[in-house]
Amino acid sequence: MIMSSKATTPELPRHFHGKWNRNEYHVLRELGRGANGAVYLTSRGGVKQAVKVGFEGMDLLMEVHALKSVQQGRDSRVGPLLCDVDDLVINGKACTFYAMEYLEGEQLDQYVQKKGTEWVPVLIVQLLARLDILHKHGWVFGDLKPENVIVTHSDKQVRLIDFGGVTKLGNAVRQFTEEYDRAYWHQGDRRAEISYDLFSTAAMMVRLSVDSQTWQTSQGEPRQTQFLCDIIRKSEGLYPYRVPLLKAFHGKYATARQMRAEMLAILRESTASAPAAPAQKQSPAGAGGMWISSLFVASMLLLAGTLYYAWFL
Amino acid sequence: MKEATLRQILVVTDGCSNSGMSPVAAAALAREQGITVNVIGVIDKSELGEKGETEIREIAEAGGGLCDIVFPQQLAQTVQMLTRKAMTRTIHQVVNKELQEILGDSGMTELAPEKRVQVAGMVDELGEKSNLNVVMLVDTSGSMKPKMSAVQQAIHDFSISLRSRSGQSRMAVCSFPGKGKHLEVRIPWTEKVEQAHQLSSDLAMSGITPTGPAIVEAIALFEHVQLPQSLSDRYRDAHFEDDGEGNLRDHVF
Repeated sequence: MIMSSKATTPELPRHFHGKWNRNEYHVLRELGRGANGAVYLTSRGGVKQAVKVGFEGMDLLMEVHALKSVQQGRDSRVGPLLCDVDDLVINGKACTFYAMEYLEGEQLDQYVQKKGTEWVPVLIVQLLARLDILHKHGWVFGDLKPENVIVTHSDKQVRLIDFGGVTKLGNAVRQFTEEYDRAYWHQGDRRAEISYDLFSTAAMMVRLSVDSQTWQTSQGEPRQTQFLCDIIRKSEGLYPYRVPLLKAFHGKYATARQMRAEMLAILRESTASAPAAPAQKQSPAGAGGMWISSLFVASMLLLAGTLYYAWFL
Repeated sequence: MKEATLRQILVVTDGCSNSGMSPVAAAALAREQGITVNVIGVIDKSELGEKGETEIREIAEAGGGLCDIVFPQQLAQTVQMLTRKAMTRTIHQVVNKELQEILGDSGMTELAPEKRVQVAGMVDELGEKSNLNVVMLVDTSGSMKPKMSAVQQAIHDFSISLRSRSGQSRMAVCSFPGKGKHLEVRIPWTEKVEQAHQLSSDLAMSGITPTGPAIVEAIALFEHVQLPQSLSDRYRDAHFEDDGEGNLRDHVF
């Protein structure tokens, strides 16, 4: 029996079939390893599918349990579609595996690196829509990080992969990554709440908008969201989104939909006013300047409010 | 099964034991008494060495638990994950045993995967609701000194994870070697670790790592275990009382 926490998986045979459902799979290559097992690209009857195998069958089946209960409509997909759950026998030992739709795409951080940071708000807004669906099914994603989000090649859609951290609302989060974990930032506990995912989303947005060196500066001890606020203040791309980001840090949103709506409003505003930006710089006392400064005052008041709230909590 | 209590010892170490009984035998002894032993090896630049890795794996195997070897930065999330996975495994074993009585020797493997998914959901729920008692056993021999702030962080962090569960959770923290004995109780059973404890001060800077004896003595902290008089005197005294609110302000490392 394998005792490591990282499910060590044996070499898969080049092709295998499930013990129960008798589906045949041809293994093409390994795609990656998660905390619960290894994922392989396979071909089943000419169709590409991703197969996840782990020796700790229970952990894998818990993932399937979550994945199954959010099997989604065609237009509102959160993660990959579940295709098959079965056992295969390797060296005389039965191993549980599941097959899912193969999402061809790029990891969120790599995508942003290639296409530019102006994609960040767009992708985050999309992600919030996906999370909203997941939450409505009674689940929290938990281990939200760029590595677990993919942008598909075909339709540039954000999809969540690796359901190992997906937790029933109200339970303790099953799996997390410190950089995006609100408890590590002293902003609450690890109960699976909608606000837990929204904190991770906000932290991830900051991470994606700055270079890794700037991000590292926020990782000092003691961890304080103040570091994140400093980054937001200095970043041209993040500054317009400071209000929703701050609200997410302090757990002020009841739903992902609310956060999405506010982000979307700012996104629309910024794309609409983009050509006018140079003019504003020349006449800071103009109407545009007034608007910006009143927004700034409003956001400072909000910050004061949240800090007051956080202080006495 | 709703009132089930899961008991675990979590050893955090960075090297081989070199004093007293075999830690593998000690872990087997713990398992025999219904306590799962998990082990985390913390390394920095220096490798643990094959011997150290083997020992860590063997302790976990004998203790029915899990092990991992990580850098100090990963300690906090590893503590949580290892604990949860070991819980899942324990509950899985119990459920499987019950199923064997109904389905025959092969138990769960006789169930179609579809049905097993439902069992997994149930195991997950049981894990969340069951009571959990964990003794963290921290190696404080000299070489651990640079890793102590990470350990301290992980202790505090683990307390947050435990509080986030639905079931009742308690933890205790011990260090080894103790002063003139194998084990020092640093934080007695508590549901909440409030303070950032100063672990790094007052370290026993000896080269002795009595992992085996420390595990044996940590077993004594679990109330369900019948103890010989000598251990009972030492570990079930009044001085483990806290201030009545679960806050342990005086127990500083």
